Amino acid sequence: MASQDITKNIFTVTSAPLWHCGKTLQSNMIQTLLALLPVAVMAGYKYGFAAVSVMAWAALTAVITEALVQKLMGQEPSADDFSALVDGLLFAFLLPATAPAWMVVVGSAAMVILGRMVFGGYGGSPLCAPAVGWGILAISWPDFMDLNGMLLNWDLIEPLSELKYFGLDAIAGVTPVSLLLGENLGDLGASQAGLVLVAGLFLMARGIVRWFIPVSFLAGVLVTGLVYNLIDPQAYASPVFHLLSGSTLLAAFFLMPYPSSSPAWRLPMLLFGFFGGAMVIIIRTYGIYPDGACFAVLLANLCTPLFDLIQPKPFGGR
Amino acid sequence: MASLMQEFTKGLWKELPPFRLVLGLCPTLAVTNTANNGLGMGAAVIFVLALSNVIISLVRNIIPKKVRIACFIAIAASLVVAVEMLMQAFAYPLYEQLGIFVPLIVVNCIILGRAEAFAAKNGPMASLADGLGMGIGFTFSLTFLGAIRESFGAGTLFGVSLFGPGYEPFTFMVQAPGAFVCLGLILAGMNYLNIWQAKRKGVELDPNFDAGCSGCGACKAMDKLAAQKKLERLETAKG
Repeated sequence: MASQDITKNIFTVTSAPLWHCGKTLQSNMIQTLLALLPVAVMAGYKYGFAAVSVMAWAALTAVITEALVQKLMGQEPSADDFSALVDGLLFAFLLPATAPAWMVVVGSAAMVILGRMVFGGYGGSPLCAPAVGWGILAISWPDFMDLNGMLLNWDLIEPLSELKYFGLDAIAGVTPVSLLLGENLGDLGASQAGLVLVAGLFLMARGIVRWFIPVSFLAGVLVTGLVYNLIDPQAYASPVFHLLSGSTLLAAFFLMPYPSSSPAWRLPMLLFGFFGGAMVIIIRTYGIYPDGACFAVLLANLCTPLFDLIQPKPFGGR
Repeated sequence: MASLMQEFTKGLWKELPPFRLVLGLCPTLAVTNTANNGLGMGAAVIFVLALSNVIISLVRNIIPKKVRIACFIAIAASLVVAVEMLMQAFAYPLYEQLGIFVPLIVVNCIILGRAEAFAAKNGPMASLADGLGMGIGFTFSLTFLGAIRESFGAGTLFGVSLFGPGYEPFTFMVQAPGAFVCLGLILAGMNYLNIWQAKRKGVELDPNFDAGCSGCGACKAMDKLAAQKKLERLETAKG
């Protein structure tokens, strides 16, 4: 039934002279890659060869898996739109720099197959693919995803694990500026908070990401964090700490506005972002995992069909 | 005899309960984290399904139509209690593993589904064949799903280590999301197989072919009811 509906052509197009705005998926993805490049370089500079190899494995596996599955499904190969490459890179940004190669390969392949291809490919998925990959790995191999345990070679601290296991005093020395500069441990790309912020602002300025979801997501994080902080400043970290630590910023600019898994209209987008942001704080406060940003993204993705029920009133409609 | 054989074999592939009829998903998803659990659950379901089918088929003419569901449930519940006690007596470790899902066999869709769709309309011998076939198909499916999930998720099969000590278990598979993902992939595989078979035979694929229509007939009854109502409306409109 559903498959028949999809093939039916139900678009109404206004009459001729039509003008293509010139944007293609490929150009969007190239600009996204450009925005992500400084983050990748910084990650390589900070964590050395380990980080580069994780990014390479993740991106390579994503592209190859997509090509193989497309061959199996008889689809046109679409590696040249670079969406698989971007997804692989975003997925790598969520991993610890010393993640073993086999785990990166399994996670990246699972991300492409379960997060994208089973739904028909990029643009068909109701879930944000990199978050799916991260979720599968976090559930399967919590020891290899534990940032504190995996990054013992570096003499820094991982703020979110410290907060989770040792309380607020352990992160007293972590200032917003040090978080922005990436002077703490964390996911290999997401912890370069300042550069991620710059990348996100660049995408927003280029019009690739609209402002509704990132802004409302960050507002959700700030407001919910502030509420907890006001309830008991001795027990809960400040909202700015939550905003800049972990993968909050990466989720705000790259995972939440994932095109097929976020709502399309203004009010639903704002609600969707705010809900996701609030869930980040709630999961971080009560969950068993130190960072809840990806789980918050997945939860918000699952609520997208509900948010999409809010629709603009047609002219003259009741 | 041939028809008995047909009733028996349809549960093995053509109307395979969890993968074709997509019935009885609660135990299919919940207890299949090991192949052993799947097998044990399947054995319990075979017992309940075969006996409840026979008993319901024997009393089908005595039960008033309006309270038949309650009667079916009462019969299934007594059998399930029997199974639960037998398990406690003879297979206590399995009983510990399956836990709440043994009593939940009562509300398993397969039991009620076969009672309503088959046993209430056919004789005891045919019902027994149907129940046994469906039960064995169910056991086979659960063991298959359990084997896949156990071998990836724990690196063992029926408790025997498969990949050696260097294997890091893919824990995702033995947890709840792994059950859904596996079931979805198996359903996709079944559909792919059907499409491939139909293509090879060169026949047009009926989109509803695997809905177990032959055994159920619910939609035909609905159509009939709708037609009747329409006729009544027309008659009142005329009158």
